[in-house]
Amino acid sequence: MKIVVTVKLVPDPNAEKKIDAQTKRLVRSGVETVLNPYDEYALEAALQLKERAGGDSRVTVFSMSPEPLRETLRKALAMGADDAVLLSDSGLEGSDVWATAYASAAALRKLEFDILVVGGLTDDSSTGAVPGALAEHLGLPCVTNARKIDLTDGGLQVERETDVGYQSVRAPLPALLTTALTFGEPRYASLKGIMGAKKKSIATTTLGELALEFPVGTAGSKTDLRSFAPPPPRGQGRTVEAADGAAGAQAIFEFLQEKKLV
Amino acid sequence: MKNVLIFAEHRQGKTRKITFELASEARRIADALGGTASAVVLGGGAAQLAEELRAYPLDTVYVNEDPAVDGYLLDPVVDYVESAAKAAGPSLVLIPNTLSGRDVAGRLIVRLGAGIVADVVELSVEDGAVVCVSPKLGGVLVTHCALRPGEYGVATVRPSAFAAARGGGGAAVVELERLHKTYPAAIEDDVEEGATEMALEEAPAVVAGGRGLGGPEPFETLLKPLAAALGGAVGASRAAADAGWVPYNLQIGQTGKTVTPKLYIAVGISGAIQHKVGMRASGTIVAINKDAAAPIAEFSDLLVVGDAFRIVPELTKLIEKAKGNHS
Repeated sequence: MKIVVTVKLVPDPNAEKKIDAQTKRLVRSGVETVLNPYDEYALEAALQLKERAGGDSRVTVFSMSPEPLRETLRKALAMGADDAVLLSDSGLEGSDVWATAYASAAALRKLEFDILVVGGLTDDSSTGAVPGALAEHLGLPCVTNARKIDLTDGGLQVERETDVGYQSVRAPLPALLTTALTFGEPRYASLKGIMGAKKKSIATTTLGELALEFPVGTAGSKTDLRSFAPPPPRGQGRTVEAADGAAGAQAIFEFLQEKKLV
Repeated sequence: MKNVLIFAEHRQGKTRKITFELASEARRIADALGGTASAVVLGGGAAQLAEELRAYPLDTVYVNEDPAVDGYLLDPVVDYVESAAKAAGPSLVLIPNTLSGRDVAGRLIVRLGAGIVADVVELSVEDGAVVCVSPKLGGVLVTHCALRPGEYGVATVRPSAFAAARGGGGAAVVELERLHKTYPAAIEDDVEEGATEMALEEAPAVVAGGRGLGGPEPFETLLKPLAAALGGAVGASRAAADAGWVPYNLQIGQTGKTVTPKLYIAVGISGAIQHKVGMRASGTIVAINKDAAAPIAEFSDLLVVGDAFRIVPELTKLIEKAKGNHS
């Protein structure tokens, strides 16, 4: 079985992020680039599927990222993926969701797979639209928010989370899956995995190899980013030491009255 | 893009407040563009919800009660929303930023060749283009992004971002042509888990508990009554969810839900960055903590240093009493 898992490389979500007041850009220095945390759950699902399918099953990691970030993909290889493919081209700069999904789908089509696993959201922009767009481009059933995945004869049996509970869903292969965070914690890379990852292949694909019909990058994007800035600052908060329960409750109650919240 | 179409998400005719928020905002934007505002409602119970939507200022409500909508994953929904969008002509499609809303939106941008802006909290029309405001990177940045005027555009909208206002009304209900298709991903079972309480993302007030509560009971005995008094919902930090005190669907933060209530009360939550990114955009933030130096002090409007186990029940009483005086 061939499984492809897409990952995005994002600024470390656990780092405090600041915007440079002059350039209005994210201060990247001191903020490490990491695998999007949601994608680690997708990778975990891909690795478990590979283990269950057995035989000569493989997991390929796919990422559309600038070339200098290629080594960040080693972490996915250290966790157990077999190889990686990077879609990297200066012509992709400025791509919005539509252009990103369009270019990625063209590169993914060349990889041939039975299952494509995609992270549910991205930590930096939280669009959540890429999995659906990829499924549509690739003509795949799109089973999102999976918390339990079983391989059946020629297909998948999935338990997926909904806003109110869960659904049991059956879908044929090939298919696209996204994972819910309740799927299970991503594994840690073992020392052996880390050593082994150094020898694994990270291939690069460029736009020239995809022969796209429509433009991508800024020119092919259907949205126009007009401005971005930090939100207005929150005023200095106050602190009250409560002598007892009643005093603490009174302080909060008066504050809520002042804010017209009660 | 001259028109606005909303996707009315529902379960057997039962919908959430966001549907009416979208209907009201659709009218405002359609008027600014000089076009029409419509809604699309699909599956079992659609006719009932369509009738309810007629109390809102829409021109057309597109309906189809095809049972395939409830029998398969979103493929039929996407087919019908596409039909409605094509019937309406180049439109801004407003979709709730929910689990299924995001899936529909992703599929639709390919069908319609549309741009998308996600998690929109504000909309405006500038020189004929729809401009969407949305926070990124957990609220560190706020972006203004324009959709192309001549084409289709999609915006997934954050619940509670807009006010729902009845008015106008009398929309024409138009039946979309039945598709008679089968689809690959079949739903075999659709289960509601636990009580269907108010969705955390839509609650006007959230009372969230963390490690400081020490176990599952205080969520029931302390936080639930306070949340009920405020007409809100209970949430939790990752520490509380990881400890198994509450289900993961109550977790607020980077790996959980993002909430933006008018009032957020953090009880026994230290305020790690993981939690902060899920609630920092709340209107007013009140924290109750034993530790005056807890990181949450830096981003709360009021920090009360004291014993939550004594403060919360007293606060609940005060709020209930105030409510009693008003009614």
